[in-house]
Amino acid sequence: MKAKKQTSISYNFLKWLLFLMLIAFIATTMFLWMFQTRIANNNADNLLRLNITDVKADIKDATNDHMLEIVRNISAELDDIDADTASEEEMSARIAEMLTRYDVTEIDIINSKGIIVACNIESFVGFDMASGEQSKEFLVLLDGEKEMVQEFQAQSYDSSIERKYAGASLTNGGLVQIGYDYAHLQASVDHEVVSLTRNRHVGNNGRVLIVDQDKNIVSNVKGVDRKKLDLEAFGIKPGSVQTGQRVTANVEGIEFYCMAEMAEGYYIISAIPVKEVTITRNMVVIMAVAVEMLIFIALTLLVYLLIKKQIVVSVNRINHSLSEITNGNLDVTMDVRNNLEFDSLSNDINATVDTLKRYIKDAEERIDAELAFAKAIQHSALPSVFPPYPNRKEFEIFATMHTAKEVGGDFYDFYFVDEDNFAFLIADVSGKGIPAAMFMMQSKTIIKSCAESGMSVEEVFTVANEKLCEGNDAGMFVTAWMGILNVKTGKVLFANAGHNPPLVKHADGTYEYLKTRAGFVLAGMEGVRYRKNELELAPGDAIYLYTDGVTEATDLNTELYGEDRLHIVLEKYKDAAPQVICDEVKKDVDAFVGEAPQFDDITMLALKYYRKEDAQ
Amino acid sequence: MTIEKNLNGAELNVKVIGRLDTTTAPQLEAEFKGNINGVEKLVLDFAELEYLSSAGLRVILAAQKVMNKQGEMIIKNVNDTINEIFEVTGFIDILTIE
Repeated sequence: MKAKKQTSISYNFLKWLLFLMLIAFIATTMFLWMFQTRIANNNADNLLRLNITDVKADIKDATNDHMLEIVRNISAELDDIDADTASEEEMSARIAEMLTRYDVTEIDIINSKGIIVACNIESFVGFDMASGEQSKEFLVLLDGEKEMVQEFQAQSYDSSIERKYAGASLTNGGLVQIGYDYAHLQASVDHEVVSLTRNRHVGNNGRVLIVDQDKNIVSNVKGVDRKKLDLEAFGIKPGSVQTGQRVTANVEGIEFYCMAEMAEGYYIISAIPVKEVTITRNMVVIMAVAVEMLIFIALTLLVYLLIKKQIVVSVNRINHSLSEITNGNLDVTMDVRNNLEFDSLSNDINATVDTLKRYIKDAEERIDAELAFAKAIQHSALPSVFPPYPNRKEFEIFATMHTAKEVGGDFYDFYFVDEDNFAFLIADVSGKGIPAAMFMMQSKTIIKSCAESGMSVEEVFTVANEKLCEGNDAGMFVTAWMGILNVKTGKVLFANAGHNPPLVKHADGTYEYLKTRAGFVLAGMEGVRYRKNELELAPGDAIYLYTDGVTEATDLNTELYGEDRLHIVLEKYKDAAPQVICDEVKKDVDAFVGEAPQFDDITMLALKYYRKEDAQ
Repeated sequence: MTIEKNLNGAELNVKVIGRLDTTTAPQLEAEFKGNINGVEKLVLDFAELEYLSSAGLRVILAAQKVMNKQGEMIIKNVNDTINEIFEVTGFIDILTIE
């Protein structure tokens, strides 16, 4: 399985927070961008439209005023004419004369029924004004209106002809109408239009242009220009100008938003650089993004710190306490209570630890009770009444065992195998505690039963070894030293199964290690044969048996008690009774060890030989 | 205690450094259990063994018993202290010490 990389809570939180914030950031920025673009475009549209409307109104005013003045004058001149009765010839003559004088394209006289009765264009005569949408508007002049003016547009009689008409009612009924074709219109108002867009700005750098139908610039920011203008560059198709429609045009490398409208045959074009429109939007968006970033960073930091404070610090505190508990300190109480969850967790952990402590205490008490019981059994299996044979004066014996734990693997034993032969031994089972204690009991029993059946000392070990090897799956072994003393002669027959040699006191008061070639440990391997050795004890001699718990007792500096110290203390008490010897050695070992804990069982046996005739 | 082991075909060389006592013996025992299969020659180097307790002797004895069945076990570079322990306990009789 592939190991997943572990990351901290705060890191994960931060990662997701940043991810979500990024999405929110992009979304709001996009929304803001679109929203601001819309606002900017709307503003641009309004600005463009407003300027067009202004200019358009100005153009209209100028042309309307101009034409109304002319038609008013013509109407005044025709106050003697009654359109219903006057002859066409007379009216035509007047029209022809005025046409040149006023320099208009068309003059019509319409009678009170709305029929053209005279016109410089012969074909128009007889046209019923009521029959066309455009011409019908003028009939209001028959109903009391004094004068009116129309926009430049297609006329009713022939829609291919575009004209601007103005009309005025006649004194004697009917009305007179004048018409301008584009050339006449332009000629009559150009001088006024020229100044209309001078110094007119759209925004800071936008302009309004007025262009005539020949695509000459009639008016721009400097006044008259007269240059040809490429209308296509402004996205304008002559003849199909869509009012209020914004187009983007590239003029001499600069992007413009343009809007165009027709007024009295002029193209009014207002344009503003795209840059000017977008700069405000960009500023707004950049400002907003900057503010948003600051807020996001602040929020992220805040959330991160909060998580750290609320969770990470608490988790670390709990982990710290838990590791203390794991290391065995069950007295730690969890006290992380900065929120409900951790409060509950703390309580749970405390409850668990309390339960654990109770179980451990119970188990300890049970084990302690059982071990105390086992200790009592083990100690009662060893001879512990001294002197053991008050009637025997040939020797004196004393032995002690101090176990490192409640029960141990050392043991000593002694008994008479017959009237004169006294067996004594010391042994050390490998390992400590309950397994060693069980093996010790087994070893002790087997050795004793062999010895009491009358075997010689080396036979005892040879047979005991075979028996102990049977079913010794745990691989334990025992070192043992056993001697059989003939209390009459002082002769000791002994065997050593891998045990450290005893010390023997000679008549001159010196102790000496009884170094003989040792046999192999008991229970170690089948088929081992043990040798018999001999020792003569003279009256007053003593023999001291011990386990390595004595010489390997260790002080706080891990220094061993050692054989030399043992030698010295034994010689110091060379004339003492066995019990004194054992007590003094133990005292000396204790003094040496000090505060250091006891690792191994300390067992010793001392025997002092007197011979019967010397005994008191 | 540290253990340096080197398996060369059917020959396993194990060098034991430090103290082989109650606390460290299980470590060596586990090492033997895991590696002794198929080994025909086990060589123990005790040149840097400082201390040997009865628990350590137990592990050595167990290894000797296994090797009695499947080959031979040799202990080399035994210093005086350790050799004395082998003598006192009679282990010297059942081990092959070079």
